[in-house]
Amino acid sequence: MKNSRRRRTKRRIIILVVFCIMWLGVLVLRLVQLQVVYAKQYRSKVFDQNQNIIEVIPKRGTIFDRNGTILARSMPSPSVFYRSSQGEPIRSQMDKINKIATLCGLSEEKLKNIQSKIEKKSPFIYIKRKIDPDKAELIMSLKLNGIFLEQENKRFYPQGKLASHLIGKVDMDNSGQSGVELKYNSVLLGDKGKRLIHKDAHRRDYQHEIIEQPIPGKDLILTIDETIQYIVESELSKAVTTRGADWGIVIVSHPGTGEILALANYPDFDLNNPPSEIEIWGKIKAIHDVFDPGSTFKIVTASAALESGKVSFSDEFDCSQTLQRGRKTFRDHEEFETLSFPDVIIHSSNIGTIQIGERIGEQNLYDMIRTYGYGKKTGVDLPAEASGILNPTKKWTSISLASISIGYEISVTAIQMLQAINVIANRGIATRPMIVKNIVLNQEKNQKQPSEYRRVITEDIATQLIDVFQQVTEVGTGTAAHIDGYNAAGKTGTSQKFDPNIGGYSSSAHTALFVGFAPVEAPLFSMVVVIDNPKGQYYGGQVAAPVFHEIGKKIFRYLRIPPKPVPQKKIITADNRRTQDQ
Amino acid sequence: MSIFVGFFIIFFLTFYIWHQAESVSIGYKTKDLEENIERLKGDIEQLETKKASLLSLDRVEQMAKQELRMVIPSEEQLIYEKSDEDIRQQNR
Repeated sequence: MKNSRRRRTKRRIIILVVFCIMWLGVLVLRLVQLQVVYAKQYRSKVFDQNQNIIEVIPKRGTIFDRNGTILARSMPSPSVFYRSSQGEPIRSQMDKINKIATLCGLSEEKLKNIQSKIEKKSPFIYIKRKIDPDKAELIMSLKLNGIFLEQENKRFYPQGKLASHLIGKVDMDNSGQSGVELKYNSVLLGDKGKRLIHKDAHRRDYQHEIIEQPIPGKDLILTIDETIQYIVESELSKAVTTRGADWGIVIVSHPGTGEILALANYPDFDLNNPPSEIEIWGKIKAIHDVFDPGSTFKIVTASAALESGKVSFSDEFDCSQTLQRGRKTFRDHEEFETLSFPDVIIHSSNIGTIQIGERIGEQNLYDMIRTYGYGKKTGVDLPAEASGILNPTKKWTSISLASISIGYEISVTAIQMLQAINVIANRGIATRPMIVKNIVLNQEKNQKQPSEYRRVITEDIATQLIDVFQQVTEVGTGTAAHIDGYNAAGKTGTSQKFDPNIGGYSSSAHTALFVGFAPVEAPLFSMVVVIDNPKGQYYGGQVAAPVFHEIGKKIFRYLRIPPKPVPQKKIITADNRRTQDQ
Repeated sequence: MSIFVGFFIIFFLTFYIWHQAESVSIGYKTKDLEENIERLKGDIEQLETKKASLLSLDRVEQMAKQELRMVIPSEEQLIYEKSDEDIRQQNR
């Protein structure tokens, strides 16, 4: 009896042990299945649920003017995104999106786009990028599962319209589209990093780990002076508006270094709310658009004349008759008799200048044009610079020498004209115009390469020409550019615009120009003024020269440089005449 | 001996669970603090930029002319300050 019970108990234990072993065997098999057979698949699934690697966008560098005023800075701006959950019905997921649709300002089209992404099981969907921080807070207060905020940066321009074309704009991903933002995009952008995000069962982030440190973009210090830029823009907009012109350009530089102190195109635009039309924001007219330089080009003709030794200061030219070259008749803007070489330039006689050009000869004139830098880029650090149009001498026709001598049959940019007047201001030395003064990372300044210098004409000839161009502003065609108490030098220009419809120069559309610098003794600034298609008065001396005068006067005030006292004329009265007689 | 081993296992498991929970909790706190630092840095930059925006020359000129009724002085009203160098030369 006792033995039989013991046997039964033993049998039960054996059955239990066998059952346990079998159960363990099943567990082991299942573990092998999970850990070995499907290991790769489940590992990636777990990784997807618990971890996420995202790119860390570095902060784009700030752009400052030469005095440290902020011109462009990236500001934190939240973006709303959705992390879709697997297994959740699409309808329920869309309900959450619909709850924030109004706050995010989502259109029907955008909602459909989001739905199709959810259907395609995209793990990360942007709902709205760079929204107002207050709206972002409201969205997060709804505590919707799967809706998160990502901290991005949005470009902000505290000065609004100031230097809009020069600074340029960025796209939604903070990549430069125009201006300095485009030219120095790689410098400003920095290098992306990587961040590992650990998530809990509710898919909330609980740990962030930087696995690749982002390198912030470098800051740029421009050569621009905020105040001079403001003066230039105010005066340019006034001139273009009052003259009913199509557009205008002004560039101001420091001749000695080539540093651009102001560069303005009008019409301009608000950088914080840029227009969609690329024609408005896409190019910097001052370095991209070309036009005939007209009489401002007589700077080059005069330089070639003296440098080649074919003309001397005492030479005289008969300017009383019109000139016929080929089928073209050249005439002056007013009647002259015989003019000396300086007077030809001071009074901007086309007839006299053509005679000078013909004495110089084609090759000498062409060589001087190239030496001045026309027909090639100046190398200014801005995008999409044009070279201008200068035909080689073998393509010149019977009237080319005459036309080019007075600034036709050649197309130039405003920045090339600036470089040319800087040669005169620097007593014969050309400088490369520049816009970025320093590149800064973590407050460590990396001085940019200084401007390149090269001699174009001898110092003696440049000094002689300065006297001539000073006379232009005192007794010549550019008296409207004269600034009381300061010595300025310059040259006016008026060119007829090329009309593609008639295949020739228009008789009703003109470009008014002025190039100059001041003070003559030690130039502080040089300037180019271009007013396109002014209505009514159209001569450079009437339209562009007054802009030089106004800007120059205000720059001197800003730089606190007092005018030289004008010598007072002695007024002789009866009383002091008696004293003198005694 | 077995009781001791049992206690050790229970203690070890308890410590492990506490450690994991604490790590997660510290992770949350660190993340919050990091976010706070970033937010404060952002605030500073925002204030600096707002200051630049408020001091923009266009706005200053508008306010001076429209609210304070100021006008641009004429040439005759301008008095240039003499520089230290000018004063030194005058005294010689």
